[in-house]
Amino acid sequence: MELTPQLATRFEKLQTSYPVKRSALIPMLMYAQDEYGCVSDEMIAEIAKRLDLNNVQVEETMAYYSMLHRKPMGKFHVQVCTNVACMLKGGNEILERAKKRLEIGHKEVTQDGVFSLEEVECIGACTGAPAMQVNYDFHENLTPIKFDRIIKDLDGGKVPPPEPVTAGALHERAPGETPLISKRWGIKDSRKIDVFLEHDGYKALEKALKEMTPETIIDEVKKSGLRGRGGAGFPTGMKWSFVPKDSPKPKYLICNADESEPGTCKDRPLMEMDPHQLIEGMVIAGRSYGAHRGFIYVRGEYRYVLDIVQTAVEEAYANGYLGKDILGSGFDFDIVTHTGAGAYECGEESALMESLEGKRGYPRIKPPFPAVVGLYGCPTIINNVETLSSVPAIILEGGEAYAKRGTPKNGGTRLLCVAGHINKPGIYEIPLGMNMKKFIYEMAGGIPGGKKLKAVIPGGSSCPLMTADEIDIPMDYDSVAKAGSMLGSGGMVVMDETTCMVDMARRIMHFYAHESCGWCIPCREGTTWLKKMLDRFHAGYGRPEDIDIVGELAQNMLGRTFCPLGDAAALPTISIVKKWRSEFEDHLNGRCAYKNTEELLGAR
Amino acid sequence: MAETKLITLKINDREVQVPHGTSIIEAARRIGTEVPSFCYFPGLAVQAACRMCLVEVEKMPKLQTACSLAVSEGMVVKTDTAQIHDARKAMLEFLLTNHPLDCPVCDKGGECELQDMVFRYGADTSRFVEEKIHRPEEKWSDLVYYDSPRCILCFRCVTVCDAGMDVKALGVGMRGANSIIIPNREDHLECEECGMCIDICPVGALTSGTYRYKTRPWEMTYVSTVCTHCSNGCKTTLSVRNHEIMRANNRDLSGINEDFLCIKGRFGFDFTTHPERIKQPMVRKGDKLYPVSWEEAAQTAATRLKQVYDAGGKDSIGFIGSNRTSNEENYLFQRLARATFGTNNLDHHRTADYTGLLTALGDNAADSVLTMKHLGESKAVLLVGNDPTNQNPLVAWQIRKAIRQIGAKLFILNAHEIKLKRKATQFVKVEAGQEAAALNWMAHEQGRLDSSLVEQLVQLQAALDAEPEVAIVFGAEITGAAIALLVAFGSKLHGKVRYMALGDYANSRGAADMGLLPDRLPSYAHVDDSAAREGFERLWGGVIPSKTGMTAPAMVDAAQNGNLKALYVMGANPLAHFGTLGFGRGKLELLIVHEMFLTETAKIADVVFPAASAYEKEGTVTNTSGEIQRLQKAAEVMGPRTDFDLLRILSHQLEKLGLGKAFHYKTPHAVFEEIRKAVPGYDVQPTGLLTGAAESTRVRIAKNGHAPYDVPVGLIRSAHDTLFTSGTLGRFCTTMESLPEAEAKP
Repeated sequence: MELTPQLATRFEKLQTSYPVKRSALIPMLMYAQDEYGCVSDEMIAEIAKRLDLNNVQVEETMAYYSMLHRKPMGKFHVQVCTNVACMLKGGNEILERAKKRLEIGHKEVTQDGVFSLEEVECIGACTGAPAMQVNYDFHENLTPIKFDRIIKDLDGGKVPPPEPVTAGALHERAPGETPLISKRWGIKDSRKIDVFLEHDGYKALEKALKEMTPETIIDEVKKSGLRGRGGAGFPTGMKWSFVPKDSPKPKYLICNADESEPGTCKDRPLMEMDPHQLIEGMVIAGRSYGAHRGFIYVRGEYRYVLDIVQTAVEEAYANGYLGKDILGSGFDFDIVTHTGAGAYECGEESALMESLEGKRGYPRIKPPFPAVVGLYGCPTIINNVETLSSVPAIILEGGEAYAKRGTPKNGGTRLLCVAGHINKPGIYEIPLGMNMKKFIYEMAGGIPGGKKLKAVIPGGSSCPLMTADEIDIPMDYDSVAKAGSMLGSGGMVVMDETTCMVDMARRIMHFYAHESCGWCIPCREGTTWLKKMLDRFHAGYGRPEDIDIVGELAQNMLGRTFCPLGDAAALPTISIVKKWRSEFEDHLNGRCAYKNTEELLGAR
Repeated sequence: MAETKLITLKINDREVQVPHGTSIIEAARRIGTEVPSFCYFPGLAVQAACRMCLVEVEKMPKLQTACSLAVSEGMVVKTDTAQIHDARKAMLEFLLTNHPLDCPVCDKGGECELQDMVFRYGADTSRFVEEKIHRPEEKWSDLVYYDSPRCILCFRCVTVCDAGMDVKALGVGMRGANSIIIPNREDHLECEECGMCIDICPVGALTSGTYRYKTRPWEMTYVSTVCTHCSNGCKTTLSVRNHEIMRANNRDLSGINEDFLCIKGRFGFDFTTHPERIKQPMVRKGDKLYPVSWEEAAQTAATRLKQVYDAGGKDSIGFIGSNRTSNEENYLFQRLARATFGTNNLDHHRTADYTGLLTALGDNAADSVLTMKHLGESKAVLLVGNDPTNQNPLVAWQIRKAIRQIGAKLFILNAHEIKLKRKATQFVKVEAGQEAAALNWMAHEQGRLDSSLVEQLVQLQAALDAEPEVAIVFGAEITGAAIALLVAFGSKLHGKVRYMALGDYANSRGAADMGLLPDRLPSYAHVDDSAAREGFERLWGGVIPSKTGMTAPAMVDAAQNGNLKALYVMGANPLAHFGTLGFGRGKLELLIVHEMFLTETAKIADVVFPAASAYEKEGTVTNTSGEIQRLQKAAEVMGPRTDFDLLRILSHQLEKLGLGKAFHYKTPHAVFEEIRKAVPGYDVQPTGLLTGAAESTRVRIAKNGHAPYDVPVGLIRSAHDTLFTSGTLGRFCTTMESLPEAEAKP
C-alpha cells in the first residue's frame, strides 16, 4: 500500500530502532492510525509484510490494545474518564453531558464523522479530575459548561489548548513537603536541557561516570533504601545486583512509563517537566550493571509526554549525555522511546516486555525473572519513572543522606497524588513515613464541605480500601502493609461520606474486567462475573446470598491468578465487602443511601 | 547423552526421583498421580494459564502451578488437600460461567476434558445467574469449525499451530473475557489443515467438519492402526461405528508420531466409502468388464495365467506390487512370482533407494538406523533433498520438535527453498540435479563447484563435524552411487551418524524389504546368491531364478513391444506411473489387477479383483525408517477382500492346474511368523507389535563382492505428493482433494 511520505519515513526508522524488528509493531500501528484515523486491512498487510509477520500476528496483537481501531473514529475522538477519581468528581455527569451534546453513545461516531465518544479507563489525570482526552489532548477539571465550550470550539474548527501541565502538579509547596525529584517543577522551560543543566542537571551522571564504579553506584542505591515506586516496592539496588555479570547477552534497561494504576498521575509530570532527570537516572542505572540500551515505554495515552521525552532524548544525544563515550567515560548508552497502545496489564513488567516485543501484553511465567531472562531473552531491569528519576538525587547527595529523608527500610521521598473528595487535590513530594491522616487533613486540606471521610484508597485502586479509623499510620511500605493495605503506586483517592461503596466496588471491578488480559481463567472469568454481579446488585436486583458470593469469588481469585492483576481486582473488593457490608444490605432493601430509587433502577 | 542429575522429592508422602528440570506435574505422573490441567500439554511450551494444576508446596505461601514449577531437592508437594479441591472447584466454576453447557449436542460430550473435570472436581450447583457471553459459531474451513462460547481459552490450539506446526494460522483476538481464537484469513483458515487444533482442543470449541454432529463417542469402537498414506508410519486411531470409519485422530498418543497427525492421517480415510469403490470381481468380456462370481474370477485368472505361462515360459509374466499393501501380502506376492512362476520380473513403484542406503552402510546398517524417535531427539539434522513438510509430515514435525525442545540445528541442502528453511541453521541451495556433485565434493573434495557453493559446503562440513551425533535424512534426489557419496561423507564426520531415506508411501520400505525388486530377495540378498535362494526354495518349493528380472518401467515397456505377455498387478497403477498416459496395455495378452478403484490400469485389465484397503485388514507395514507396526482391521466394506486372501485363493487355483504350491497360511500372522524366521532383520519381538508399538528392523546387506551399486537415473523417483495428494489413492480422498489449499499447491 502507498504510504504518505512522513509515515513511510517513520516506519523505516521504527523498523531499525529495535534489536528485533517486531518491536516496532505497536508504534507502527499507532502512527498509522494517527495518520489515517484507523488501521485498515491493507495497513495490517503492509505492516505484516514490513515486519515479516503473518496478518494474523498483526491482527491479534492489535486486537489486544484498546486504543487501536479497525474502523475510523471521529476526527475528534472524545475520551471521557469515569474511573474512580473522575467518578467521584463528576466523570459520569461529563459522560452523560457528552452523550447528549454529541448525540452519540460509547464508541459511536457522529454522522458527519467529526466526533466520536468513548468512555475510557483512568487516563492519568486524577488530580485534575474529572478529565478527558480529545485525541491526545488532555482537558482537566471539567464541568459540563467547560465541556460544552471545548466541543463548541472543536465544532467551529478551533482546537482549544490542552492542559499546559498535569493539573494539580504545580501548587504552592506545602509545609512539610520536601521537593527533591520534583524540585525543578515550575521552573520555566524545565524540560529543556539548558535549564536542566543550570539546575544541577547531569551532575550526578558526571559523578557516577567519573568518580564511581558500577559496584559503588549499586552500593549507593542500596544504601539509599530506594524501593520501586511503581507499586511493588522492591528494593532497587538489590534488583540491579541480580543481573548476572558474566552473561554474554546484551543487557537492557526499561523505564516503565505505562502509568495506569487508577488514581496515579505522578510519572506524567515527572516526564513532562523533568525528562532529563529520567534520562540521567537511566544512564546511571545502565552504567551500574552494564546495560547499553534503554527503552522508555510510555503509555499510549501520554503521547504528548512521549514527544517531550523524545525531544529531551535528542537534546541529550546532541549534548553528549547519550550515545557513544558519554562524557569521555567510554560508556555508551542509547535510549529508544516507545509508545504503548492502551493496556493496563502492560504496566506489569513481564507483560510490558511482551508488549515491547510487539506482542499481546500477556505476562510471562516467573521465574526466570527479567533480571536474568528479560527483553528478547536477555537480562533486563525494569524500573518505574519515579524510581529512575530518584537515582540522580541519590548519587548527588549520597545514599545515606537520601535514606535519612525517609524511615528505615523506606528511604527517601516519594510523590503522592491525592484525588477525589479532597480540598487540595494534587501531587506532593513528601518524605516516606509521613502520617496519612496528617497528610490528608493538613497538607491536602481535608475533606471539602466539612464532610466526613469514609474511605481511602492509599495507593491506586488495586489496594484494599481503608476506613477513616485506619488512617492514622505512617505512610511507608511496611506500615501501610501492616495496616492491611499497600502504599502501592502513590495514587491516593479519598472518598467522603456521600460515596456509595457498592458503586465504588462496581466501578473498580469494571476497570479490572476491562483490563484483564484474558490469559488465566480466574482473572478473566472472575472479574467479568463480579462486574456483572455488582452491576446487577447496584441496580437494585441483588439477592441476599450475593453479598457473600461477591466476597467468595474475589477470594477465589486471590493468590491464584497468573499475575497480580487478579489480586488487584480481588483485594479492594474483599475489603469493601468486609468493611462496608451494611451498604450492600441497604441495597437489598431497595435503598441506596446516595441515590433515590428511581435513579437506582435506571443505573447501569 | 550426559547424565542428568536426579532430584528426590515427596508427592503426597510418596518419595519420587526425577531428572533435574522436571516439572511437578510430570513428576506426579511418574507415580500415577494426575494433576488436572487444561492448558498444559506435554511437549508444548508451558503456559500456566488455566490454573487447574495448582498444588501445595511446603514453604511456599501460595498455591503453585505444577506445570511451571520445576522440582527441587527435598520438595514436599501435596496435590490432594482441601485447599486444592477448593481451588479446582473455583476454577471450574469460573470456567463454566461463559461455557454454554450444551453438552447434549456437543461433539465432545462424553470425551470432553471440561466435562470430566467438572464431574471429578466441580461443584454440584451453579451460582452464576448473569447473562453469558454468546457469539455465533464460525466455519473456518470445510474441516475446522469454531464455537467460541465453548472455548475455554487454554490456547493449546494457538500453541500447537505456531510452535508445533510452524503454520501460525491461529491467533487470539479481543481481550479479557471477550477473548476469542481467530483464524488467519479474516473469517476463515488457510493452513495445512492438519486438524491438530481440533485434536488438541480439550472441549468442543474446535470441531471437525467431517465428523460433527454425526455420532456420539460412546457409540464407536476405536482401532489403532497405521496411516496408509505417506511413508512415515504414523499411528492413527480410527473411530468406527457399524464398521464405518467416522473419524481418525490420535488421542492415545501411543504411536511413533505421539501427538502428531497430518491431514492425511486425520481426514484421508474417506476413500473407504467412496462410491467408486470396486466391490465385485470383474472379468473382461469383449471390450467391457463384467461383474462375475468370485469363483469365475479366480478360475479365469488362474487358467489364463497358466496358458500364458505354458506358451511363453517363466519370464513371459511380470509382477508389479504395491507400496501400500502389507508386508505379509508383499511377501506372498513375491513368492508367487518367484516360486510359483519362477520369474524375477518383479518390482514396485520405487520412491526411495533403500537398497542403496543399506548397501552403502554395509555391516553398519543395523546400527545406523535413524528411527522417528531418534530424529525427534537429534541435536543436528542434515536434510538433503525432499520437502518433508509436504512429503513427509512426521519427519518435518520431528525435526521441528527437536529444534523446539532441545535446540537442535537443522542443515539443509536442497534445490528448492522448502518451508523448513525458516527453521534451518544453514540452508545450502544447489541446482536441481547438483546434489550428488555437492555430496561428492563433501565426501572426497572432488569435482568443480561454484566457489560460493564450496564456501557454504565447507561451513556445513565444519558445523556437522562439531556435532557428537548427526541425523542424515535424504529424499529420492539421492539414489544409487550418490548414496555411497553421502555415506562416505557421513563416515568422515566425528560424531555418530544415522540415516533415513525418505520414500513416498505407507509400505514403500516394506515392499523393498520384502523383495518386490527384480534383483533382490526379501531382505536384499541378491538373486544370484545361491545360499539365500536355497533357503527360500526350501520354504516355498519351486526354483527361484538367479537371473535379475525386469524393472517396473521395463515391464511396462516390454508390454508394449510384446516381450511381456502377462502382467499381474497388485495395488499399483503402473500404466499411469511408468507409461505415457493413453499408452494402453500394448501387446499384453493378460492383465490382472487387485484394486480398490478402477484406475487407469484396472480399467483395461482382463481380471479385476476388488481389494481391501489397509484400514480393512490385519498385517504389518514398515515405515521409511525401517520400523514395523501392526495394521489392525477397523472398517468392513462389503465385497472387497484383502490381497492376502486374493493371493491365497489364486495359489490354490494354480496348484489345481499344476502350477506351484498353494499357500497354506491361515492368517497374515502366520505369514509374519515365517517372515520373522526367514527374513534377516525382521526377527523382531512380537510383544511390542501386539501392544501397538513400533519395532525397528535390523536389515543389513552383507558385502558379497558385487560391482559398485548404482541405479539408472530416474528409476527411483518421488511422486512429489503434497499434503493434499497421495498418489492414486489420493484421488479418491474426497475431503483432502476438495480443499482450496489442495488446488493452490503445485
